[in-house]
Amino acid sequence: MLDIIIYGAVISAVYALLAVGFTLIFGVARILNLAHGAFYALGAYCVYTLTANLHVPLVIAAVIAVLLVALFGIAMERVLVRPLRRLPPLAVLMMTLAVGLMVEQILLLIFGSEARNVPSLVESSFNFGGVLLSGQRLLAFFCSVAILGGLWLFMQHTRLGAAILAVSQDPEGARYMGIPSDRIFSIVMGLSAAIAAAAGVLVAPFQSVIPGMGLLPLVKAFAIVIVGGLGSIPGSIVGALLLGYTETIVAFKASIEWSQIVSVAAVLIVLIIRPAGFFGKRAAF
Amino acid sequence: MLAWGSLTKTDVIGAIVVIALLSVVPFVGSRYIVGIMTVALCYAIWASSWDFMSGLTGRENFGHSLFIGTGAYTAGFLNVSFGLSPWWGFPAAAIIAVLFSLIIGIPTLRLRGPYFALAMLSGAVVMQKLSIIFSETTGGQDGLNGLSPMLRSQVSAYYFTLVALVVTVIVLKFIALSPWGTILRAIRGDEATCQAAGINVNFYKISALMISAAFAGFGGALYANYQLQVGPDLFDVALSINIIIMVYVGGMGSIYGAVGGALLLIGLTEGLRSFSEYRLWVYTLILILILFFIPNGVIAPAWVRVREWIIGRSAAFTRRASA
Repeated sequence: MLDIIIYGAVISAVYALLAVGFTLIFGVARILNLAHGAFYALGAYCVYTLTANLHVPLVIAAVIAVLLVALFGIAMERVLVRPLRRLPPLAVLMMTLAVGLMVEQILLLIFGSEARNVPSLVESSFNFGGVLLSGQRLLAFFCSVAILGGLWLFMQHTRLGAAILAVSQDPEGARYMGIPSDRIFSIVMGLSAAIAAAAGVLVAPFQSVIPGMGLLPLVKAFAIVIVGGLGSIPGSIVGALLLGYTETIVAFKASIEWSQIVSVAAVLIVLIIRPAGFFGKRAAF
Repeated sequence: MLAWGSLTKTDVIGAIVVIALLSVVPFVGSRYIVGIMTVALCYAIWASSWDFMSGLTGRENFGHSLFIGTGAYTAGFLNVSFGLSPWWGFPAAAIIAVLFSLIIGIPTLRLRGPYFALAMLSGAVVMQKLSIIFSETTGGQDGLNGLSPMLRSQVSAYYFTLVALVVTVIVLKFIALSPWGTILRAIRGDEATCQAAGINVNFYKISALMISAAFAGFGGALYANYQLQVGPDLFDVALSINIIIMVYVGGMGSIYGAVGGALLLIGLTEGLRSFSEYRLWVYTLILILILFFIPNGVIAPAWVRVREWIIGRSAAFTRRASA
């Protein structure tokens, strides 16, 4: 029982990180970013390269990796996505998918298909009432909660956060108020990329770092965001908790195999019962 | 026939020329070329079935490999695990693929937004994972091997695939040109107006997906029976994307363009054999360039030009002859 609570919390926190970035860029710029998983994979690979090849200390490598991926996200928005905004929304969707695949292919060409190891920041394990948890998982949990909290403070208490919220409510109205929507889109894409990369960096030591590692998290993020409601940040956190715990319970009680189906089953059930998700606006449909 | 009304004589002659060219391949090409071309024809079936649903209704399907993979695995199971004749695989594959299309299509196609595209994508990803996880029954990473061959010679398999492709294109084009297809295109244009006109748009979208899935599943079974092997890579996202790129290159919504795109890109793949690791990379690059510069594709617009030129020429010729 306790092991389900503890492992579920770690998984949910990482899922929440992935889903929040995914839902943020959708809520603000209406971009469904299929390259989100690529940001996650890029984060992990950046840390790998920096520590294994360039021998940068792990903490600094993590920060550099997050910043690099954020820059990559901004560049992608500026160069590849923005010119397509006038076209039907599917063009943007195709473009993000193309970027995601391209990143995976480049990673495959550079690093090959074998799994890479990233060292843990915290080597020791901790014991919680008989449940042994590795330090890196604990770190992933606390960092995720801290990042989510920081994001909340940023959105609620800064001018930029207010501007982002304004654009997400009404891009045109925000433009009339003098908020540069295009620049906000870039910033949010960078922010979303940075959060996804942070998730990748945090899980890299206990996940196999392979070029295709971003695909399943993308599917999970998509499922969480559907459950919580597309574009809603609280919704994506609740969705992450729901999905993270359901998966953990299924993994512990049935088998790891069946936990893979949870996300798709959840998507289908939610779309049948309440397509807007728990926190989505019905008007959007 | 009403449904063929918009096809000109030039279109029919063009189609016959292409079929004739394709049927000469076994006489001029080596075994190797015939093998490649059989695979290319399978891709053409998949691409045209993708185009039928997504090109006509504008609802892009990011996981067509879900139908291909389920079709191929169905044919594989029936043949390897149950020892049935390969011919049973075709109807069974189509039926199972249609079943999957209903599971994904009914909840998601009634919604506006990207739900359908993403649910298809995740459906395919999860099926791929499941096919690896349940490796005792599916053979895991190696897949199912040793299907009994359906036709003895390679050349007859090629002709069988060619006939299957021609039938697929004729059926899909027939539906696309019928009033039924007009409704599908109207849904792409303005769904709300269709609804206001009393058209049950969900019914049309879901049935279009079922038809598309049936042909994709059939094509998957065809591929499995040709390769005598089924593997989890048939569920791969890369396969779905390759098909989408083929249709984009061909020109969306034309069906024959998808066939041209498939043949062209498989040809390109063969040309790039020495760079095989860069293949998907080149494909995605092509997709990005097409999205930017030629959103209408290459094959279908090119054929429209050629047709106009031929019609113009023959009109000038008759004028000169009568003068």
